[in-house]
Amino acid sequence: MDIFGSFALLLAFLAAVYAFAAGIAGILTRRTLLAKSAHNAGMAVFALVTLAVASLEYYFFTDNFSMAYVAAHSNRALPAFYKFAALWAGQEGSLLFWSWLLSIYVFSALFVNRNKHPELMPYAGVVMAGVQIFFLTLNNFVASPFNVMGGADASGTLRLATLGDGHGLNPLLQYPEMVIHPPMLYLGYTGFTIPFAFALAALLGRYPGEKWIHITRSWTMIAWCFQSVGILLGAHWAYAVLGWGGYWGWDPVENASFLPWITGTAFLHSVMMQEKRGMMKVWNIWLVFTTFMLCILGTLLTRSGVISSVHAFAQSSIGNWFVAFLALVFIVCFWAYWLNRDYLRSDNQLDSLVSRESSFLFNNLVLLAACFAVLWGTLFPVLSEWVVDSKISVGPTFFNKVIIPIALFLLFLTGVGPLLAWRKTSYDALRRNFAMPVMGGVLAGIVAFIFGFREIYSLICLILSVFVTLTIASEFYRGARVIAARDGTNILSAVGELTMRNTRRYGGYIVHFGMVLIFIGIAGQAFNRDIQMEMAPGQTLKIGPYTILCQNFDRVANNNYESERASLEVFRDGRSEMMLYPERRFFLASQVTETMVAIQTSPLRDLYVVYAGRSPETDKPVIHAYLNPLVKWIWFGGIVLVLGTGLALLPSRRAALVLRPAAEKSWGDAVAKDASAIGAIAHRSDAHD
Amino acid sequence: MIDCRRRSRGLRAVRFAVPALLIALLISFGSAKAQETERAKKLGQKLMCICGCNQILTSCNHVGCKYSHGMLKELDEGIARGESDDLTLQDFVQEYGQTVLASPPDKGFNRAAWIMPIVVPLISLYLLWQVVRRWRQRGAMATAGGPKISPEFLARAQRESDMENHEQR
Repeated sequence: MDIFGSFALLLAFLAAVYAFAAGIAGILTRRTLLAKSAHNAGMAVFALVTLAVASLEYYFFTDNFSMAYVAAHSNRALPAFYKFAALWAGQEGSLLFWSWLLSIYVFSALFVNRNKHPELMPYAGVVMAGVQIFFLTLNNFVASPFNVMGGADASGTLRLATLGDGHGLNPLLQYPEMVIHPPMLYLGYTGFTIPFAFALAALLGRYPGEKWIHITRSWTMIAWCFQSVGILLGAHWAYAVLGWGGYWGWDPVENASFLPWITGTAFLHSVMMQEKRGMMKVWNIWLVFTTFMLCILGTLLTRSGVISSVHAFAQSSIGNWFVAFLALVFIVCFWAYWLNRDYLRSDNQLDSLVSRESSFLFNNLVLLAACFAVLWGTLFPVLSEWVVDSKISVGPTFFNKVIIPIALFLLFLTGVGPLLAWRKTSYDALRRNFAMPVMGGVLAGIVAFIFGFREIYSLICLILSVFVTLTIASEFYRGARVIAARDGTNILSAVGELTMRNTRRYGGYIVHFGMVLIFIGIAGQAFNRDIQMEMAPGQTLKIGPYTILCQNFDRVANNNYESERASLEVFRDGRSEMMLYPERRFFLASQVTETMVAIQTSPLRDLYVVYAGRSPETDKPVIHAYLNPLVKWIWFGGIVLVLGTGLALLPSRRAALVLRPAAEKSWGDAVAKDASAIGAIAHRSDAHD
Repeated sequence: MIDCRRRSRGLRAVRFAVPALLIALLISFGSAKAQETERAKKLGQKLMCICGCNQILTSCNHVGCKYSHGMLKELDEGIARGESDDLTLQDFVQEYGQTVLASPPDKGFNRAAWIMPIVVPLISLYLLWQVVRRWRQRGAMATAGGPKISPEFLARAQRESDMENHEQR
């Protein structure tokens, strides 16, 4: 059983190499049998990596401490839930997990397209196999999770060893969200391989038209959605576990996950320009390439020890492999682009600056500016050390100063973009569409100012949030009103009908609304309050409308940890509202102490209480209480974002829209007879996203 | 008699003045203390905890962090001595090195950290403008070389196109 996993992993590597080589041979010789064989080998990789993962999980569940990875990341008392999650707790296991998720994506992409796109699929298969080869090389030869304990004795004979119990899982990871957060994030990172593979395949094979975009749209949205969920779960984990009262610290590893999300978002928007107008082809290809490369860069930053972070894996030489892979990917992408750049010529031109196209251009520019700022801030300490040999820190102060204005401008564009028409928006349409949202936003700003809202960024954020919400609402209302008038239904069912007719467009609006909620939640941060106090039983502290009475401190224990716990009664307006129990847990296996935060959450504010330990001077227990307004909106916004993405992934119901009586000749028909050259205007004009 | 009244009035004034002065002193001491705490918080946000957690000083509450408690105490002491913000920060830099500052200082090579996030988007905006201008020029040339369409027809096209946009949204 011990060699089963490593054997399966080695076979997976060989299968990936075969898929790559046979794929290239199939393309060069145009032999379909070879291409088919490569296709099957690509699918077999999934089965083999699954066996390897299953065998490692088996070692975890059977407490096989002769396996070095199991001994380092598990122990007998670890709950089964966390034994499962220990798979991705360390470098080797997480790389295997990465390979497994990648193989699921590759298998799905190959299976879904098994009888489609015979010209494109061999190229895509080769690219996907190439990426798999890299990760399986790491799994087999650089960071194998199947290393056994022991070593050579004095006579040179290999002796296996086993431990009575393992070192246990990192206590920071013993939290339910850590069972879900890494898989979500990895599903995001690995998912971007599929659009990358199809984009590179389309370029290499000079696949005609925008077909590759249609094929990869769903894959990109799925990966983007997982990446979003992963980032938000990570933020929630930081909030609920790290105990510093915040959810985003601009840590390099957090930034690393944010970078491909930004370029992925840019791609999801700019891709519509290519679909509708045949524009921005070079831009889109490079956005996909960049997103994939940023995924690899993020992994490099997390695993190489180049930058320090609480989230990073231990420093290791594995970073060199990622640098080499990143360089190789860039060279291949640039070479493919240079050879086929004439294939990426734009079909159309920009007609007006006041158009949907311009808003997408600006949206992309602003997103890329944000991406650059985050990347620059993340890598600047390394650059500074390299250039002037001076170590410096780039912390939240820098990122907040640079990113907040960019993010607010982006929020503004989120409201503006959907109200502009393709090609050109007339002044009348502009006035009609913007009047209400602008008035609503300004009014909200005035009311907020009167009620004492003085924090400038939060005020702007509130104004823009109301503006964007009203633009979204007006989009739904105006479309639904037409349907309700025509079908005689009520406005609510008309909204449902409208949404299902163009799931992509209206799902996108729901995603935008989710982002608005997230922005509002972040804006609440400006009003955070906190107080720290040494508290003996019977003492109270006041924060906002709450009075916290310390009742007592007690100890609880189980096989996994011993805990010191504070029992705090929370009063509001003299009435007892709830009990909170912040803890400090001492994990027996790893001999590490961690805090467990107690949070009372509501839509208006979170009461966040940390048992910060005992004062070194007085030995009295220290309680740190925070009042964090609107945090819940961030998590709720995340749910809305997922629902919107899910909706956008559904196929649209075909509309039987009759725009005008049949007797009246449509403009498109008239044009076809009159001046065929501009017929495209009419037909493009109804091609909304 | 007058003297006596004056003296009693003076005594009464002293009786009121002393507690009032004490209260005023307490309030001013309290508000000075609150100001100090507020200043310490603000300054603490400009500093990083050096334990490796990558968090700003006032946010680090890692269990058993060996640095944050002492650093916060140093910060309070610096403020209590009446040092200026710059001097307090300078003290920290001297003791812990440049990494203790939460953002790069705006001088020398480190100025690039602040300039580049502004310069790069501006250059990109300029490049974008050039691309848009080229696109528009190409568009104008294509229209000039295209079939003849009357202005009324184009106006109707635009009207209907706008209407369809509106109805289909």
